[in-house]
Amino acid sequence: MAIVLTERMKGWIELMGCHLCVATPGGVPWVTVSRFARVTNPDQVSFAMEKGEIGVIEDALLKNPWVAFGVSKQGGIRAAFQFKGKGKILRSGAEFDNVKKMATGVATDAVLVVDLTELYCTKPGAEAGQRLDIMPPAEVDAWEKARWTDIPGK
Amino acid sequence: MVKFTDEMKDALRVPGKGGSLIYMATSSIDGKPNIAAMRFVATHGDDKILISDMFLLKTKMNLKENPECSIAICHPLDAGRDWVFKGKAIDIEYGFPLDFDWYGANAKEILDKWGDWAALEPPKEVPPDIVFPKPAQRGVVVLHVEEIYSIEKGKTGERIQ
Repeated sequence: MAIVLTERMKGWIELMGCHLCVATPGGVPWVTVSRFARVTNPDQVSFAMEKGEIGVIEDALLKNPWVAFGVSKQGGIRAAFQFKGKGKILRSGAEFDNVKKMATGVATDAVLVVDLTELYCTKPGAEAGQRLDIMPPAEVDAWEKARWTDIPGK
Repeated sequence: MVKFTDEMKDALRVPGKGGSLIYMATSSIDGKPNIAAMRFVATHGDDKILISDMFLLKTKMNLKENPECSIAICHPLDAGRDWVFKGKAIDIEYGFPLDFDWYGANAKEILDKWGDWAALEPPKEVPPDIVFPKPAQRGVVVLHVEEIYSIEKGKTGERIQ
C-alpha cells in the first residue's frame, strides 16, 4: 500500500523533530537526532542535519540505506509510530536548498530525505508492532482518529 | 570502560521518578534498523541499562540474532540529557538459567528485582488515554554499555566515554 502520512503524524514529526536510527550492513545501530523535519511528500520526510548529526550515521547510511525513526521529545508514548524507509543524503540541489532555507536555527550541512515504505504502531499493548501500511491511507487515518484526536501545533 | 555519572543514573529511570522516556535502537543481523520508545528503564551498576520486556516484538527478534543496541534519551532531550549509550544487549527472560551472566549481571538478581516492574514502578504518570492495558512481562533487557556519545546540539557524535 502507498503510505500517506496523516495530519497528526505530520504535526508530531514537524513540531518535535525525530530520533533516527541506521545500521551498518552487519547490524550495528547508530542513533542521531534531527531537530528540523518536514514532510516533503505524502510518503517522504526530509531532515535538516547539522554536521555532527549526519556524521554519526553517514558511513553506515552510504552502505545501507535503511532508516528507522520516531518522534523526539515525547514525555509519553503519544506519537506511537515508527517510520521506516530508504534514505539519501543531499548536499546540493533544489531539494537541499529548499529544506535548508526552511530550517532556520539549524546549521544545515546535509539534508536526509527518507522515502517511507513501512509504518508501524508502537502503542504499548495489543497494538504494539502493528503494521499500518498494509491498510489503505484512508483506513490508517480513520484508525488513528479512533484512538487520538490531538493535532500537535493546533 | 564506561562509568555512568550521577546525572545519567538520574535520567535512566522511569519518567514518574524524574527519569526519561528513552528510545531503544536495534538491528536485524542484515542491517534493518528498528527504534522504539520505552518507559520502564533503570540502571544496574555503573555500566548497565535495564529495560522491561513487556511489549517487545522486533526489538526482541533483533536481539535474538544480534546483540548490538543503542539507547538514547527521547525526553527531556534538551535538559542536558543528550546521550546515546551503545553496547551489547540481551533479553533475560524467565526460563534463563538463574546463574546466567551477562557481563557481570546475574539473571536471578535482575529478575528478582525487576521481574514484576509494573508493580514495582506503576505507570502513575501516564495519562489514561495512552496507558497500556494489563502488562505481561516476559523478561528484562540488559544493555552492557561500552560507549557513550553526545547528541547535544553542536556536539552530536562526540564521544563522552
